[in-house]
Amino acid sequence: MADLVNLTIDGVPVSVPKGTLVVDAAKKIENDIPVFCYHPKLKPVGMCRMCLVDIGMPKIDPATKQPVRDEQGNVVIAFMPKLTTACTTPVSEGMVVRTATEQVRAAREDILEFLLTSHPLDCPICDKGGECPLQNLTLGFGPSVSRFDYDAKFHNEKHVPLGDLIYLDRERCIQCSRCIRFQDEIADDHVLQFHDRGRGMEIITFSDPPFDSYFGGNTTDICPVGALTTADFRFKARPWELASTQSLCTHCPVGCNITLNTRLETKSGGYEIKRVMPRQNEQVNEIWICDKGRYVHHFTRAEDRLRQPMVRRDGRLVEATWEQALQLVGERLKAAGTSVAAVVGDRIANEDAYLVAKLVRALNGAIGMSPSVPAHYADVARAFGVGAHANLAHLGKGDVILVVNGDVEEQAPVWFLRLRQAVVDRGAALVIAHSRSTKMHRYARAIHRYEPGYAARWVADRSEELIAKESLKDARNLLIVFGDEQLDGPSARALAQGLANLLIATGHAGKADSGLLPLYPHANTQGVFDVIAGADRAAASNGANGKVGADLRSPICDSRFEVAWLIGVGDASDAPSAGFTVVQELFMTALAKQADVVLPALSFAEREGTFTSGDRRVQRFYRALPPLGEARPDWWIAQEIAKRLGHSWGFQGPAHIFADLAHSIPHYSGLSYEVISKSEPQWPPMGRGDLYYGGTVYDNTGGLGARYASDAERDPAGVRPYDGAAPEPTIAGLERRPRPLYRDGELIRRSAVLASHIVPAQEVA
Amino acid sequence: MLREKRAADIAQVLAKYPPERKRSAVMPLLYIAQEEYGYCSDEAIREVAEIIGCDPTEVKSIVGFYTMFYEQPVGRYVIDVCDDLPCALRGADKFVTYCEKRLGIRAGQTTPDGKFTLNTVMCIAACDRAPVAQVNREYRYELTEESFDRMLDELSQS
Ligand code: SF4
Ligand code: SF4
Ligand code: FES
Ligand code: FES
Repeated sequence: MADLVNLTIDGVPVSVPKGTLVVDAAKKIENDIPVFCYHPKLKPVGMCRMCLVDIGMPKIDPATKQPVRDEQGNVVIAFMPKLTTACTTPVSEGMVVRTATEQVRAAREDILEFLLTSHPLDCPICDKGGECPLQNLTLGFGPSVSRFDYDAKFHNEKHVPLGDLIYLDRERCIQCSRCIRFQDEIADDHVLQFHDRGRGMEIITFSDPPFDSYFGGNTTDICPVGALTTADFRFKARPWELASTQSLCTHCPVGCNITLNTRLETKSGGYEIKRVMPRQNEQVNEIWICDKGRYVHHFTRAEDRLRQPMVRRDGRLVEATWEQALQLVGERLKAAGTSVAAVVGDRIANEDAYLVAKLVRALNGAIGMSPSVPAHYADVARAFGVGAHANLAHLGKGDVILVVNGDVEEQAPVWFLRLRQAVVDRGAALVIAHSRSTKMHRYARAIHRYEPGYAARWVADRSEELIAKESLKDARNLLIVFGDEQLDGPSARALAQGLANLLIATGHAGKADSGLLPLYPHANTQGVFDVIAGADRAAASNGANGKVGADLRSPICDSRFEVAWLIGVGDASDAPSAGFTVVQELFMTALAKQADVVLPALSFAEREGTFTSGDRRVQRFYRALPPLGEARPDWWIAQEIAKRLGHSWGFQGPAHIFADLAHSIPHYSGLSYEVISKSEPQWPPMGRGDLYYGGTVYDNTGGLGARYASDAERDPAGVRPYDGAAPEPTIAGLERRPRPLYRDGELIRRSAVLASHIVPAQEVA
Repeated sequence: MLREKRAADIAQVLAKYPPERKRSAVMPLLYIAQEEYGYCSDEAIREVAEIIGCDPTEVKSIVGFYTMFYEQPVGRYVIDVCDDLPCALRGADKFVTYCEKRLGIRAGQTTPDGKFTLNTVMCIAACDRAPVAQVNREYRYELTEESFDRMLDELSQS
């Protein structure tokens, strides 16, 4: 590459792209220059001076403009008179960096000695103790004794609520400003700042409400000391007592990679989740998660989780054994013949949905998904979705991001962060069409409006105008993010098709970093659709514009069946009426209360499986907690029911099921647990081995997942525009109000820490 | 409300900045607020934030950084004595102690009658004539215990 710069660091030659900072260049050759204020995801500020190194440049002869050479012919290096911050100095050709000199060692020791003069050193009661960059760097580089008087330490307030979710310990703060910069540069919620200066300098919030941001929890991860703690985790456990399991967030289509930190609790009778932490995946969430992902975990060990099968006797649901319950379900299914309908919720794992669909197909019954609207367009989103190797980090100058009818921050928070950076930091153009304003509107180059419910109409009528006005044909890439608020199924489908037509008309269909990005409601909307549509024979030959099983789009909730089988269905209106209803659930939901049989399912934390994110990345999650009571994984329940109907499948577990799934669902062919479990070193390196560098993020050892190709990518010749007609909005559509992040629901309701943030359903704007 | 009371002044300040850069008007607007309320009250900070379209936290931070913005109500006369290093070398620290004794308050406080506020500040660029103070922004040079007493008497009478 032409713009590589060569330098040596402690005698080791290294070549890095122009513009790389010395601290990152050193990282490339595993020379860890200690830092506090520097963070690879934030702009450098050079505030803490921990990264001082000795930097020299080739001496240049002013006359010849050539490097001066000594008698031996070696280039003469002129070192700077003083040490320089490695975190603010970009590399240059021929640069010589020394980090192992006595001068550098002494400088590091001095900085640490100063930092510790006003640090309480209350590590034994500090939440960061054990994973603290200040501890680590003090051990590595600090002086063993201080010349300062312990009693002269500067004392300050210790439990300052910055909001109801984050607490500040003022005396632990080392004023690195990572938290301020995260809120300013990444989250764009300017709720933290410094106040005063010198010894009086401290972090404040003066916002109204105070520290209120969907991303605030991330500041506690990147804070290099125990100054910031979450209301959820503070004083709950010591980091070294925690077991960690690689998992996935289930709350939105982003599919953030997370780590579940668990600990054995005798009181609650087993392991429980103590905290949820980000796990680095530069293609998905980098090192961030939103506060919903961080705090909505309490449902996993909620008192009222279902632990025992229940059957209705004399009008009342009473506890039963699995044998009794399964026997009963088997009998009723046998008697029902083909009058069977299954509805699968979109948080259910691929393997589970696959077995449910397999059984329903064998029975010749009907199948649907909940919520049902995404089933109307998930095939379009898949056909024209982003390319298999797309990465939001690639988007920048020359690219256009079009957001239609969706609120990215509320519906896919981490996509919001990443798309915002593509626009604000890297110069992509943002065009928004929506019936109302969203936070994303702050960065828009152009804003278009329509009446609520008219999104599809607007796209159908205005595409040509939009293409001309926003020069969409000249864009390097066109990424289209869209949502389905205030649309019914047919309108949502028309919207997706209209947007796919836009991709085709502008020549972007099938390009790697172009395509549709749907704002689905949950983590596995695409996966559940793929798996149950694929199991439908009508959908088996699914070209770019192939017809998906009509079953999935015709609302089965309007029909009546002998037996309805509801697996993780949140919305009661998605359930068909039936003579006999079986509900598989975590909680005694409204639907479960009405059921004839209630089967307790395991949550994502208690079993393994896969989800397919909104951008079609198939990823694994692992078992973090032991099973709860008698609850069982949904796939096990489906297999046991099938057994009662004479189908003995003999699946040993999710990996086994996935192999079958990948074999029978064309889009998933080539995928396997082996493929999606592959991991590779992430850049910039952060996480466990590198705590001081990136904070308390976890390394990704569980797999980066893999995205299957879009139809347009697979078969460019088969790409044809859809018929562009868009139906009139309907009342049912208009009633589908926007979905704020903290909308009320069975899971969020069990996280008391978020209680005051929950938006009741009727208040949704 | 600042917006109503000082509409003309605010408009005049804002006119100096392009609309998309109006946050740059934060300091002149804070002076207007301070003139109006006597100090940068919480309410004033929120008003200024709203006028320039930024978060109140950011405005509060600016108020906290500059010693010429007051976060607490101040006396009729604000005496800012420099006790930075060069002035200290010329006896400013001892001089501050005298001021405290004479006024019966600590630096940072206001006399009970609401007349005087005493502050210590960083270099005010008059080190050559130390000890030096600004009294309601007006410089007083080469202060001594006697000249300080005289000054207080004068001010008390006015
Ligand atoms: S609270 Fe933490 S992240 Fe924020 S400035 Fe202090 S030490 Fe840095
Ligand atoms: S952005 Fe979505 S996937 Fe990521 S943590 Fe938040 S809710 Fe979970
Ligand atoms: S000054 Fe370089 S890491 Fe803080
Ligand atoms: S140090 Fe006091 S005026 Fe400069």
